[in-house]
Amino acid sequence: MTIGLNAFLMVSGLLFSIGIFGVILRKNTLVIYMSLELMLNAVNLALVSFSRYNATMDGNIFVFFIITVAAAEVAVGLAIVVALYRRRQSVMVDEINALSR
Amino acid sequence: MNDLLIDFLRGFTNSNDWSALLPEVLLALLALVILVADIVLPKGKCNWIYWVSIVGQLAILVLIGSTFAIVTQPDSNVLFGGLIEQTSSSQWMRGFFSLSALFITYIGRIYLSKHTLAHTEFYHLVLIVAAGMMLLVQSSHFIMLFVALETVTVAFYVLVAYGRTSSLSLEAGLKYLILGAMSSALLLFGIVLLYGVAGNPLLSGATGDSLNYNQLSTFIELNASNLLVQLGALLVLAGLFFKIGAFPFQIWVPDVYQGSPTPVTAYLAVASKAAGFSVLLVLVNGPFLPLSEILIPVLSVIAGATILFGNIAATSQRNVKRLMGLSGIAHAGYLLVGVVASLVVPWAYYAVLFYLFNYLFASFAVFGVMAITADSCDANQQLDDYRDLGRTQPFLGGVLAFGLGSLAGIPPLGGFIAKLFLLFAAFEAGLYSLLFISICGVVISIYYYFAWIREVFFSVESSDQNNRTVEFSTADSVVLAIIVVAIVLVGVYPGVLPLMQ
Repeated sequence: MTIGLNAFLMVSGLLFSIGIFGVILRKNTLVIYMSLELMLNAVNLALVSFSRYNATMDGNIFVFFIITVAAAEVAVGLAIVVALYRRRQSVMVDEINALSR
Repeated sequence: MNDLLIDFLRGFTNSNDWSALLPEVLLALLALVILVADIVLPKGKCNWIYWVSIVGQLAILVLIGSTFAIVTQPDSNVLFGGLIEQTSSSQWMRGFFSLSALFITYIGRIYLSKHTLAHTEFYHLVLIVAAGMMLLVQSSHFIMLFVALETVTVAFYVLVAYGRTSSLSLEAGLKYLILGAMSSALLLFGIVLLYGVAGNPLLSGATGDSLNYNQLSTFIELNASNLLVQLGALLVLAGLFFKIGAFPFQIWVPDVYQGSPTPVTAYLAVASKAAGFSVLLVLVNGPFLPLSEILIPVLSVIAGATILFGNIAATSQRNVKRLMGLSGIAHAGYLLVGVVASLVVPWAYYAVLFYLFNYLFASFAVFGVMAITADSCDANQQLDDYRDLGRTQPFLGGVLAFGLGSLAGIPPLGGFIAKLFLLFAAFEAGLYSLLFISICGVVISIYYYFAWIREVFFSVESSDQNNRTVEFSTADSVVLAIIVVAIVLVGVYPGVLPLMQ
């Protein structure tokens, strides 16, 4: 049997919302990064399934760009977290609040 | 299959014209040359790299100006198989970004001379951001849009966290990264929904190239009431609202503006916002135009809320970088009014661009003075630090007054004419409630901008505690004087920027 487009989109939407709630609710910066990656991967899943269903290649190509950009983003992000950890000895967002005071 | 490939390649090469992208290519090359020069040149010659960057950018600015003189036909120019579309407004924005990169490099050196940080990478990233933003405003395909946007954003993550000896700068970088990546994901999800719906073979007008703006435009015209189309368009706009700092997505603005180095704050405030607005204008007047029935109310509510939030939050602010951030939110609100008006009266499109240019001149006057007066801890500049600046440094005080006056919209400065055009466009489009909110916003903004001017010129208490010496060179005063002349000239004679025709 074949799995329909809707099933893929449901999974993708679910992953995306898990990602959003993770970014909003979690306190650990590394978990927040994981949630951001989850959002991007949800987008990738939707792109690939649309691409398959619509029989166009653009979606598949787009996924490669997204993967590359996500890698660059995480590289910069982890560098910032490491530098911040050296200064503050913490990666929890509720302890990184010197600016809002 | 082979013939298909050859046909494709032939079509692709026919539509490629690299000379049309010469400024971007040269900017990227210049950025690489700077990195190589850092390795090749002997140690202690950072000045050379700075001068290479400045001279190269001046040449590129002249190049963009000369293509202006040659390319005067109003019709657009589609290149690279529909990835790039050059119009007269995108040409103006290229000049805008080139100009802002030049100025940021200039005040970047003032900032870097007060800190022990690497020089070369800063100049490199400024150039990369400028090239990315130029491609961003010319893109007419969602993959191009995404790649250019992420080039800009990832470079900005590094620039915001550039002062890595200060934990405030790193914190600002972290906040910008988390919220920026989230907004990119929202934008992407919107793009995916549009791609999926517009390529669906069961719907009328389905297209094979559904990431292209022109193809998408014809599809949306036929399916404007489709829920997924509307959701996708709103998600794309939400991603852009983050970049411009519009109301529900403005939480990052004050913190990031305060924490990042002053030149980067200026770059974010002017160029990043302008890039967001020109993409917004292209999308709203292009593929999303058939959705204007739902876009006008949504954009109007956001514009009104943005103006009110920015102005009210700025009134009680004493930190000047946060003040510039919050008042920048208010300016984004006025510009959004122009975007809404552009859906009804087409010339409002150029009123928004005109406003952006005036915002550039006025902000650079203010940020230039801020970069010069800042000491080594530049995240905590307070209004009190500017006390008596008008007496000790009359020139800097004067430049600041011209910049702030133009931001507040005092005649005869450029900001006044720009606001007048925007409000007149809103009047012509029949947006009376937005017009009323904008005028209230302008009145509130005069209060906090003049609080700063009062601190500079008419402070009652004498300033015994801060007799810091502020030093600046003749070159600094020449650059600032040019900006002030531009502010006054545009105000007195708006025709020097032939945008409004």
